[in-house]
Amino acid sequence: MDKKKLRNDLILIISLFLVMAVTLTITLSFKVRTNLVARIFYENNIVETIDLSKNEDKDYFVDGKHGKLHIHTHEGAIAVLESNCPHQDCVHMGYVSESGKPIICAYNAVSIVIDGNNINDVEI
Amino acid sequence: MKFKPLIYLSLFPLLTSCSSGVIFEDKAFAFDTMIDMKLYEGESSSLKEIKNLANTYSKLTDNYLTSDVNNVYTINNTNEDVSVDSNLYKLLKLSYELKGKGLTYFNPLCGSLAKKWKEALDKKEVLSSGIIEEELAKINSSSLTFKDNNIVQRVGDAEIDLGAIAKGYYLDSVKEYFVSKNYTKYLINAGTSSILLGSKNTDDGLFNIGLSYVKNGYLKLKNCFVSTSSNKSQGVMIDGKIYSHIVNPINGSALNENDVAIVVSNNGAYGDAISTTLTMCNIEEVKEIESLFEVKAIIIKGSDIIYKNQELEVYYH
Repeated sequence: MDKKKLRNDLILIISLFLVMAVTLTITLSFKVRTNLVARIFYENNIVETIDLSKNEDKDYFVDGKHGKLHIHTHEGAIAVLESNCPHQDCVHMGYVSESGKPIICAYNAVSIVIDGNNINDVEI
Repeated sequence: MKFKPLIYLSLFPLLTSCSSGVIFEDKAFAFDTMIDMKLYEGESSSLKEIKNLANTYSKLTDNYLTSDVNNVYTINNTNEDVSVDSNLYKLLKLSYELKGKGLTYFNPLCGSLAKKWKEALDKKEVLSSGIIEEELAKINSSSLTFKDNNIVQRVGDAEIDLGAIAKGYYLDSVKEYFVSKNYTKYLINAGTSSILLGSKNTDDGLFNIGLSYVKNGYLKLKNCFVSTSSNKSQGVMIDGKIYSHIVNPINGSALNENDVAIVVSNNGAYGDAISTTLTMCNIEEVKEIESLFEVKAIIIKGSDIIYKNQELEVYYH
């Protein structure tokens, strides 16, 4: 009777660990492969949220501090096509599809942050 | 009763996926970039304080726009005495003295050369050797004079550019503020090139710092400054060569010896100035500077780490 109980307990414990392992694997792979979402901020406020996984070819026009920014999505990536900022650093970044590489137009206080596959606290 | 362990165990995956515990988060636009601020303790008003600091230092160090206070732009447009804020005075003095302390390739007077390169590269052109010679002559014949009562005088035609040190200097003052508040848990990311790390709200307190140009590579760090200089984000490819926004004040070139230089240090201003310098150094020079300033460096070419301080460990996901 005791042996049977012990065997059942062991089966239960092993099953639980298996369930946990599967759950963790699914959770982690979901974190890594989750859909990319681009959030466009004006200062500290989100003005647009875009699901990049839809692979849409679409234009967005966002009001910045000194003018409008022309933003475009293409094949799961996002870019600033036009801005009136003096340095044009945001335009020069081109299409971005990775998290950890925000597109920043400091002159217009607009930033585009991509979320979804960021497994690090910060990218350098 | 029998299923009690099952309940506890089933909660485990849920607990492991909890968020990192950021209490206050904000963004500031300064120094031509975005400053991402995360505080894991304290009060939200603290973020306002460090946001104000960012705006103040950004205005003071601006070499493109005039401001309501005398700034770098003001100094660049006169050879007269200029009375400046004590913080700008200290930063200018520090920048000017660093060259003499062993950072050969760091010179705050290369502003005009850097601007000329930027204008050329924006048009996908390489700056002519004639203009480079002119600019180098300006740099070599110019100087800064520091007088009492925070008065600075620029002598000559070279322009000041503090882009390679200003954010680090700002982060030093943020750290000072956090120390005064007894805060130890924070992450301040000034446009990825300058980062101030306290500790994270986890057991080991370590942050994962992803290395964009090393596949799946990352560092685990806390309580330090991380400064990065790279030709990858703002570099321009012309005839198969990457021309950088980082210019060499000795030969006037915008071609860097290394693609990325990462410096882990205990001082933001020094870390920033050193990372800029290291993009132009060979490995022997990198080692000399590391030991002189007690910093740890990683040097990347392409996607390969060609040098890594032995005290730094690169992990892979």
